[in-house]
Amino acid sequence: MSKISAMMDTGKRSLMNSQTSLQTVSHNIANKSTEGFSRQRVELLTNVPITEGNLQIGMGARAGVVTRVNNPWLEKQIQREGVSMGFADARADGMSRVEQVYNEQNNKGLNQYVTDFFNSFRELANNPESLASRTLVRESAAAMGKDFQRVVTQLRGVQEDVDGQIKTTVEEINQITKEIASLNEKVQMVEVNKVPANDERDRRDLLLKKLGEKIDISWAEGKDGLVTVTAGRTAILVSGTGSSDLKAATTNTRDRVEVFFSGTAGAPANITEQITGGRIGGALDVRDHVIEDLLTHVDNMAYTLATEVNKAHIEGFDKYGQSGVLFFEQPDGVKGAAETMSLNKTIFNDVSKIAAAAQGGAAGDNTVANLISALQSRQVMDGGTSTIDDYYNTQVGQVGAVAQRAMKAQESQKNVISQLTNIRESISGVSLDEETTKMIEFQKTYDASARLIKTADEMFDTILNLKRM
Amino acid sequence: MRVADKMAFNQVNQNLTKNRSEMADLQNQAATQKRINKPSDDPLASARVLVARTEERGNTQFIKNINNAKSFLEFSDQSLGELSDVLVRAKELAISQSNDASGNEETRLVTAAEVEQIYNQSVQIGNRKLGERYVFGGQKTQTTPFNPQGTYFGDDGDMKIQTNKDSFVAMNISGNKVFLGQGLTGDGIARPRTETPVTVDQLKDFQAEEVQRRQQNDEVEANYVETRGPASLSGTKFRDRQDPVSGRIGVNIFSVLKDLEVSLRTNDKQGVQSALDTLDQAISQVVLARSEVGSRIMAINGTQDSLQKAVVDNKVTASNLEDADAFQVVSDINKTESTLKATLETSGKLIQPSLLDFLR
Repeated sequence: MSKISAMMDTGKRSLMNSQTSLQTVSHNIANKSTEGFSRQRVELLTNVPITEGNLQIGMGARAGVVTRVNNPWLEKQIQREGVSMGFADARADGMSRVEQVYNEQNNKGLNQYVTDFFNSFRELANNPESLASRTLVRESAAAMGKDFQRVVTQLRGVQEDVDGQIKTTVEEINQITKEIASLNEKVQMVEVNKVPANDERDRRDLLLKKLGEKIDISWAEGKDGLVTVTAGRTAILVSGTGSSDLKAATTNTRDRVEVFFSGTAGAPANITEQITGGRIGGALDVRDHVIEDLLTHVDNMAYTLATEVNKAHIEGFDKYGQSGVLFFEQPDGVKGAAETMSLNKTIFNDVSKIAAAAQGGAAGDNTVANLISALQSRQVMDGGTSTIDDYYNTQVGQVGAVAQRAMKAQESQKNVISQLTNIRESISGVSLDEETTKMIEFQKTYDASARLIKTADEMFDTILNLKRM
Repeated sequence: MRVADKMAFNQVNQNLTKNRSEMADLQNQAATQKRINKPSDDPLASARVLVARTEERGNTQFIKNINNAKSFLEFSDQSLGELSDVLVRAKELAISQSNDASGNEETRLVTAAEVEQIYNQSVQIGNRKLGERYVFGGQKTQTTPFNPQGTYFGDDGDMKIQTNKDSFVAMNISGNKVFLGQGLTGDGIARPRTETPVTVDQLKDFQAEEVQRRQQNDEVEANYVETRGPASLSGTKFRDRQDPVSGRIGVNIFSVLKDLEVSLRTNDKQGVQSALDTLDQAISQVVLARSEVGSRIMAINGTQDSLQKAVVDNKVTASNLEDADAFQVVSDINKTESTLKATLETSGKLIQPSLLDFLR
């Protein structure tokens, strides 16, 4: 037989359950816009019923556990795609800056300066006696040299920017890994009581995603709920409740910033080569592959140009009838040829030293000037398969193609992420409509439970008043 | 599918960003009137635009080269015209003094004075300058080509002008060819090779060849014995117009005029008569040079026409590749604009209502 007090008790517990549920609803609403938040639900369970004779009487409900609605495999997938997203983002950013160096749609660039240089020799061939056309040659050669330097400086500038980015990103990574480690601790503390650490896990999932966008990581959760995070292949950033820092510093061998892992005993290990994803990976790819390649190409071009012009010029004769000197300062080697491209001082100071003639003593002899201008259509690059113009134009085409691919990759990766995020939101996101409905639902339950207690109270009164009747 | 609030916001955000960036891109195209504003807009086309621009600049320079060469050649042609005029006058004088009916010792003396003037005029023509350059000095454009005795101080070099990617045209005709008749044919004088060296190896060959050639020419010239003129009495030998000793068909215009003058002065009727033949030869030598100059002018005029067409073609190519199709852009802008409006409108509707709006 049931008791009125039991009824009152059930009502009371129901009131509490409704309050808990309403509290959770308000938590959900409050966190509607919190990044990485998963909506939470109070799992209500029926109480253990009482068996009396052949009656089993239900004893109401109790709040079992507050869970978060979340698909961990989806979260992991988003995290993995985030690594590619960070990579594509950084690459697209870098490439759009690199291609501006080669953009001749609006500004004068190397293509035009090289053409101007050769045209100035044609002008010299028209009038080898004139100082004006000789000065034109000097000016156009100096301008071309400057533009070679501009290309190198601008490409280096992008590299330096990447260095800066890597430094700040590494700082951010260290912050994040510290927080993950402390969250590990909190999760362990909470879950040791068999209570899911919902908010801590949400935060930790979010941080893992953020970390993955910066650097390629792999991570796994142990049975104790602690995650271990590894960057690259060997750098264990988070293990248990401890974290190890990364360091960004320049090395002696190269004046570029590299990434070091200081977690292991002994000297910090250089893990730059291992980083192939995330923003750092993308930035490194642009800095160490794309730009280095381009610098080599520009150097190649400058070296060949300077060497070929010098070879011809030195065989010629200047306005004084003396045999020619070097036209450009002969570069020591291919590396750095573009950066150091400059006119021979002798020529810079006296344009009459420009050798236009094949033989001394004839002021109108323009044979060498013609020869140098004909260099433009000679195949001197790529082992004699392309002209200097071809070589450069191919570079521009390639830079454009790489930039285009990088931007398309970024675009499509964005779509992937946004689709996955949509799926995630549809599972874990907060819906105001839903929460409002729940609010009404639990409010009604609360009302009804209160009514129940009132009814029980009245029932007591009825019993207690029996004697008076 | 369950729709969370954030999904709606995200979606609105994404769609608006996409529409806005499309709009910005199109607006940029409309403002610059260019389809390609950076290499990645169309990598292949942007490389081809550069090729077209290089070609265009090259061709424009070639046109400039040709204009320069043309003025040089035209000036040479004009000077040669004058030279042939004065030679014709000399011939007229020679004819009038070649018989005793119209000439006698006195008239011949008077005529001799005029022929001397013609001689001086010829030397002056040989020393013509265009700007700061002697036209008939070969490559020695800063040295006076002829002294009053008619000795040549220039060389026989050609000033080659690039008229197209791989073609060069000489813009001058050297004075020893026109005035001294050297190197026309059959006289053992070698002329410089016509190809312009375009590699360093070719240049070295050319330089070595030149040294040898000059030596050889100097030798030929040193051994040359002029057999025509007053010293030669028999006129019949001139019929084949070839020097019996050296085989040279050219004549030295200055010696011809000098000989005529001397013959006139000494009242040497036969000398005057024989001068008629050599004068004919001199005139045809000048005409030959003029026709050479003329044919070069014609050739470069043709090249210039095709270059001008090529420049237009280059511009058209670049424009086709990089210029925006104005109609296309405008219609795309309209399309994107209406999409953007639709997005904005539906976004407003999507975000606004929630259950809360209906609970009062």
